[in-house]
This record gives sequence, C-alpha cells and structure tokens, in this order.
Amino acid sequence: MPTERLLPRLFLFGLLALLALAAWQWRHGLPLSTDLMELVPGAPRDALQQQAEQRMQEPLNRELLVLLGYPQREQATEAAQQLERRWQGSGAFESVQGSLQADLPALRRQLLDGRLALLGEDDRRQLIEQPQAFIQQRVQSLFDTFAGSRLLASDEDWFGLAERIQNHLQPQGALQVDLASGALLVEAEGLQWALVRARTRADAFDLDLPLQVEALVDAARRETEANGGRLLAASGLLHAAASQRQATREMSWIGGGAGLGAVLLLLLAFRRARVLLAILPVLGGLLGGAVACVALFGQIHVITLVLGGSLIGVAIDPPLHYLSKSWALRPWSAWGALRATLPGLALSLATNLIGYLALAFAPFPALKQIAVFSAAGLLTAFLCTLCLLPALFSRLDLRPGPAPLALAERAWNLRQRLLRRVPSTVLLALLLAFCVGGLWRLNLTHDLRQWVATSPQLLDEANTIARLTGQRPTSQFFLVRAADQQQLLERQARLSQRLDTLVADGQLGGYLALSQLVAPAAQQERLRQALDGQPGYWQPLLDLGVPREALERELETLRKLPVLDIPAALAGPLGEAWRPLWLGESDGGVAGLVSLQGLHDTNGLNALSEGLDGVRLVDRLGQLNRSFTAAQWTASELKLLSCALIVALLSVPFGLRGAVRVVTLPLLSAATALATLGWVGQPLTLFGLFGLLLVTAIGVDYAILMRERVGGAAVSLLGNALAAFTTWLSFGLLALSSTPAVSNFGLAVSLGLVFSFLLAPWAGAGHRRATGGAQ
Amino acid sequence: MNGLLLRVVGLLATLCLSSGTWAFDLDQLSARLATPEVVRGPFIQEKHLRALPQPLVSQGRFVLAKGHGLLWLLHSPIRQDYRIDDNGMAQRGAQGWQRLPQQSAAARQNRLFLAVLQGDSSGLQHDFELALSGTEDDWQLRLTPRSALLKQIFERIEIGGDALVRRIELRETQGDRTVLRLPDSQPGTDLNDAERADFAD
Repeated sequence: MPTERLLPRLFLFGLLALLALAAWQWRHGLPLSTDLMELVPGAPRDALQQQAEQRMQEPLNRELLVLLGYPQREQATEAAQQLERRWQGSGAFESVQGSLQADLPALRRQLLDGRLALLGEDDRRQLIEQPQAFIQQRVQSLFDTFAGSRLLASDEDWFGLAERIQNHLQPQGALQVDLASGALLVEAEGLQWALVRARTRADAFDLDLPLQVEALVDAARRETEANGGRLLAASGLLHAAASQRQATREMSWIGGGAGLGAVLLLLLAFRRARVLLAILPVLGGLLGGAVACVALFGQIHVITLVLGGSLIGVAIDPPLHYLSKSWALRPWSAWGALRATLPGLALSLATNLIGYLALAFAPFPALKQIAVFSAAGLLTAFLCTLCLLPALFSRLDLRPGPAPLALAERAWNLRQRLLRRVPSTVLLALLLAFCVGGLWRLNLTHDLRQWVATSPQLLDEANTIARLTGQRPTSQFFLVRAADQQQLLERQARLSQRLDTLVADGQLGGYLALSQLVAPAAQQERLRQALDGQPGYWQPLLDLGVPREALERELETLRKLPVLDIPAALAGPLGEAWRPLWLGESDGGVAGLVSLQGLHDTNGLNALSEGLDGVRLVDRLGQLNRSFTAAQWTASELKLLSCALIVALLSVPFGLRGAVRVVTLPLLSAATALATLGWVGQPLTLFGLFGLLLVTAIGVDYAILMRERVGGAAVSLLGNALAAFTTWLSFGLLALSSTPAVSNFGLAVSLGLVFSFLLAPWAGAGHRRATGGAQ
Repeated sequence: MNGLLLRVVGLLATLCLSSGTWAFDLDQLSARLATPEVVRGPFIQEKHLRALPQPLVSQGRFVLAKGHGLLWLLHSPIRQDYRIDDNGMAQRGAQGWQRLPQQSAAARQNRLFLAVLQGDSSGLQHDFELALSGTEDDWQLRLTPRSALLKQIFERIEIGGDALVRRIELRETQGDRTVLRLPDSQPGTDLNDAERADFAD
C-alpha cells in the first residue's frame, strides 16, 4: 500500500524540518524567560503609565544590594572596597558602588545656587510668615555645637538656607556615611554592615546574567564567611536565577519521572524492547510544543516548561491506546490496529485540542503559552503515532501477557457485581452529595505570589536588608500628570500633605516626591519678594557682630538667583534620589511619580488620590489580583463553550444524547475534583481552575474509549488504565512542584482525571452490551 | 562637623583620665580610661567665622559619665541642652528631652562617639593621622584627616591639655574655626540628682 510507505517518509521529512527550526531557534541557547510580568495580562494601553511602571520596575530587575557585615568597621569598609573592585572587573555590571564619593564642590555649587529653589516648604513658609523666628533659629544654629555639617562658610550663607536645605533633603534610612572611606554603613546585630550597590548591564537579554550574578554573590558569600563576616544580598536577579534553576530541576524530575513511568509501563505490559519506540511521539510532541511556543512568543516561560512537562503523560496516550489493542486483535498488525483505533484517536485528539485551545482564549499570556505548547505538542505526537509508529512496528509480533487483561476483567466484573447491589442512581446521589459538601468548603485564592516559588532564604535576606537599611520600597506608586511643571509640583505637594498624615500615623515609612526637592516657580518668586521685608528682622544677627553690609550683599545675591525648574534641580548631586521620578514632557503635558516606602496597609491608598486632579494610584499587583477574579468567569465561560463544542463534535458519531452523556462524565469528574479540594482543605487557584478545563478535554477521551469499546469493555478499561497511569504520573508529579500555582494545577488535574477514569465506564452503559472479555 | 566634634570630645574623655605617667603615648592614655566615673566642668565655645572680626562666644557646662553618656548644656547667650547616649541624641525642648531623628546629620556619629568614650579610640585613628607632641604637662595632639572626603570638610583638629584636656580647635576647610576650651574640668565619682534625672528620662 503506497500510503504505508509514503506517510513515514513525509513525516520524517517534516520532523527533520522541525529539528532544523529548533536548532535555529536555540542558536543562542534555550530562550527561557523568568519574568513573571510576561505571564500576566498586559497593562492598560496607556503609554505614560507603562513608562512609569518600567521606570519603577527597572531597579528591581537590574539592581543588586549587598550588605557585608563584620565585627569591625574597617573590615567591613575594606571588604566593600574589595568587592567593588572585583565586581567592576567581572563584566556583569554596568556600575558597582561600594562607597559614596561625594563631589563636594558640585554639592556646594548646587546649594549656593538653589538656596531659594530648593528650600523646603516649611522653611519657606517660616521665612515668609515668621521672619523673626527664622532669624532667631539662625542665631541658635550659629551657636549650636552639634548643628550639623556645614558645607558653606557662614559668610557664604548668612541666613543658613543651605543648612536647612541639607537637613530637609536628608536621605531617608539608617545608612551612615563613613567619613574615612565614603562607605555606607549601618550598625546592627553587633556587626558593622557596609553596603555595596551594583547595577547590571542594560542590554540584558542575556539569560545567563541572573545565574552569573548568583554565582558572583555565592563566591563573595563564601569568601566573606571564610573571613568571619556575613553577607546579605537582595535582587530580583537572584529570584530569577533561583526560579530558573528550580524550573530546570523540576522539569527534569517531572519529565524524568513521567518518562521513566512510561518506559516501565510499556515494558511491563508489552514485554518487547521495541515498544519503547512508542516514546518517540512524546519526544516529538515536546519538540513540536517548544518550537511552536518560541515561534509564536519568541521565548518559553519557565512555568510553561514545568507545566509542559506534564504533556508527556498526555502525549503517550495515543500510542498506548494503539498498542493496547494487541489484547483484542490477534494477531496484532501495525497498520491494522491503527485502522481500528484511528477514529477513536482522532476524536480524542479533537477533544483534547478543543480543551487546550480553550485555554488559549483565556486573557492570560501564561495560559496562552501553555495552550500553544500543549496543542502543538499533542498534534505532533498524534502525527508521529499515525505516520511513524506503524512503520517502526511493522514487523513487531506483539503478544502481551494475559495478566493485565485478567486484572482488568476482574475489575470490570467487580464493578458489575457492585452495580447489581447498588444501582447507579444511588451512587450518583452519593457523589452529588459529596460534591455539594466539598464545593461548600472550597476556598478560592488568587494571588500573584502563588505563581512564584520564593526561596525563603532569599526572602529572609531581602527583609533583613530592608530592615537594616530602612529602605522598603513598595510596588504601589502615584502617577501625577499636569499641564506644566508648576502645576505638577503643586499637585505633588497636595498629595504629599495627605501622605504626611500617613507617615505621622506610622502607616507609611516615607515617600519621595519631586515637590520635596524643588519649589514651584511661583513659590520661588514669592520667596524672592518676601526677601524685601527681611532687613527689619536682622537685629539679632547684627547684635552678634555681623556687619549690615554683609547681610545686604547676601540679600542682593539671593535676589539674583535663577528660578530653577525640575530638570535643573535634578541635575545636581542633591537631586540623585529624585531623578527616576521625573517622566518629562509628553502629550503636551508633564508627568512625575511619587514613590512610597515601608507601606503597612495598601487599603487606604485609593482614597488618597480622591479629589486630586491628575493623580492616579498605580497598583499593578492589586490590579492583577483583581483581574484574576475576573478571569474566573472567563474560565467558566470557556469551559462551557469548550463543552458545547465537544458535544457538537461528538454528536456526529454518538448522537446528541450520547454526546451529552460522554461530556457530562468529565464535567462531573471536575466537580468531584473541586469538591475533593474543598474536603481536604486545599485552596483553588486560578491555575487549578484552568486545569479543570483540561480535565474535561482529557477525561472525555476515557469516556469515548469506554463507549467505543473496541475489543470489549475489559480491553478498553485496560487501555484507559494504561493511558491514565502515565497521565496521573505526570500531573501528579506537578503537584509536588514548589511553585504553589503549578502544584495546585497538578493536583486539580490529576484528581479530575482519577474521577474521569472511575466514571468513564458509565459512558457506554445502555449503548452496547458489555462483552466482558477478549474475543 | 559635629560628629567629629563628638568623637574628639570622646577621645578627650579617654585622654583626660590618663594621669600622665612617663611613657606618654596614645595606647597608654587610652588604657587608663577606666578610672573616674564622671568628668564635669564648664566649657567656653568660640566660633571664629572668617568674615567676623570677633568670635561668637558661648558658655556652658558638660557632664561625661561612664555608662550614661554626655550632657552638653549651653547656658549663654542662649540655652541649648543636648544629651548623647546609647539610644542616640536628644535635645531638651518645652516638653522635656526630645529625641532627634536618627538620620539627622547631628545624630549620626553619636554611637561611634560612645564607642570612643568606652576606650575604643581606633575609630578616630581610622579617620585621622594622630600626632602627639609636647610633654605630659603640656601636650598637643594633632588630627589630620586621612581621606579626601574628610579633607574637603576639615583642615585639621588640634587638642591640647595637661592632666586633663583644656582646649580643642577645629579648623574647617571653608575657613570657619571653632575653639572649645575646658578650663576647669574635674574628675568625679558619682552623678548628682539633677544629672541623674537628666540621664534618666
């Protein structure tokens, strides 16, 4: 038969093309992504908000904070300098900062020129409204032994404006500058900690970078500990590296476990080494899935890879069904068995594809990727089974042992005996009661944090660093828009007043706003005018012996100071901390951010921007978690839709009644799985919910095969058991994943499939008389 | 720079207590720290601003007590009371002692200062070259900043004394100069009730 020669050749040609495509896609290594944000629904299409989010996100992705703790300050500062030098030469970082090399001349210049523009709001108000008190405080600070470092000589700044600015713009946090080395130090837990900040290269589409950074940190940690010190490190890169390694590890043992299970099963059941070739469709499936994924998305996310590992269990089903017919078809022939099983297999493939592709319509890039990976993988595996296996098995004399079939027969007879005593309706009622009770207890949780397996050690270190440095940035921030800079600063100042109350109540650690750094132009002008009234209040200064001419000269200099705008204020060394907040001009207006630190409760934040024009809270995490709830409904809709499609498809061979019956069984299985989660107290996550979508699709297979009963009920039961075993194995292994979402997905799917298997025999009841054994 | 000033005062505390034996070196002076529980006395502060012909003079008293910290009480021409202890720095206001925020420049180095107070002068040696000259009855200690960062703020610090420290001079790079004179410091054994109360709350 010509097709029996043509098909394998055509397919081999296609497979080679696929391999070549894969080789080209992986020419720079496997394009693996760990960025969680790529998995979640895209941000609203607002260019400015996206720019703002990127601005706030960037330090998380690129910055590395390290604290080196030693008993002696010298040890800590020296270690920081050494680390700085070594890392600068490592090639991984764009900059490494182990000390603060303050450019004092530049700082003096900025203070001198910005004495009006940079003066804080309270000081400005005092100068304008209470000039007497202002001068009195200046006199006190001149006598003060501990008044603070003075960068300007008294006669450069008779009114002490620079000193007030310095105190006002004091960086928040607990770090102190070591005057000898410039290192940033904090003392805690009996150790002196020196801070080293590193920033990775910007062109970081380099998947090895997180691992490289992790290796550098590990090496530094070993060395520090060998020297009797302690090292703490915090960076998004370390989390990326950890999840990358964890995914690779889980992928290997989930894949390895499922693969090993499949091999053992094949050997035990069919007792021929050659049947191991049935693994080929699985390998082809994984390859096809990966290639399709990279082709469509440009990369594969680690979560896809881990979940995709479970494809092994599904992709081995077609060859297993095909081979299991050897118990019924005697003698078994490669092409003959294929012809006998093809309609059932094609139907299963179609329902599986419907199930997976329904996931692709979920508004979650994560699920789209998994859907594409799995659908492409299944299709490849199916084609492989169809085209390649019969050719490979053409001279295979398959004579499986009778034991598995005998076991299946005994199970089937047991079931028949049970049904004679307890009718199906009673069993159904019991099951429904179980479902209602379990669903009542089911607990839904949607949180992005379930999507990552955060290593407790990394989390712990990051928390310690936040505690020691007093810097605990929050993911929420405010985006402020305005027509011009003046309005922007005024709007930020109004928001700041509300934030100040939160700070005073201890609900907020602190915040950064552009309005802290520089006064609106109109305020600078008002301050300048208020200077005219100053000479009347100078007496206390004159009493100290300060010459009146000196004060008048000073006043003249101040009057001539330029009005500073935001970019000018940010340019100097004092503006460093505020620079990321300025988004510049866009859409005929300007925009800037207000970032928050040490937020205890996110609930009241939305109310803060109420009534303030142009102020918007950006809370990506909260927004995502809310969108998860919305996605539940999408999941339910998709589920109904995919069921309707499957019913439509199946009503062609089975008629409408039969189709509904076949689809109802996996739906009931999904409900039972949900109820079981409820009874055992496991929460249902969004991933678990989408996993149950799959249960419908895969579970329908079992029902179809039990209804078809090619070769009799026991043979079909055995075929199902073999297929279900590998599928359980791979999804069951997922349940052991340390990523909560993946584990919940695995648990939900494997539970659903257990029930699908158990309920499948009811699919055929009344359709055809059970033959109860091999022919 | 106040933090330094604090450290200087702290070092003085250690030096004060060294009762002048023959071998007059820093190590031995530091080692003798432990003797008196309390040192107290008046101080006179002269701020020589480069643009003023005459200095700004102020006066007050200080109390340095082992295990408690330092009270620095300026009496005239204005009143300013400071207290520095393990917990940080506090200033006396209308409602009693008020802790100054930790990140304020003035509060930064007080912990280090207390370390020095307890006999650990290594902190000071870390930042400065120390040069001791003169005799044990009339000695001079010159502190020159080691780092470029410090040199941009300080030219040098000079300390002088006999059995006790009598004079501290602080020369800032931008031209201002502070002289602290401690003409009549006395070692003591115990705090009086008022001092104890000041350290207590």
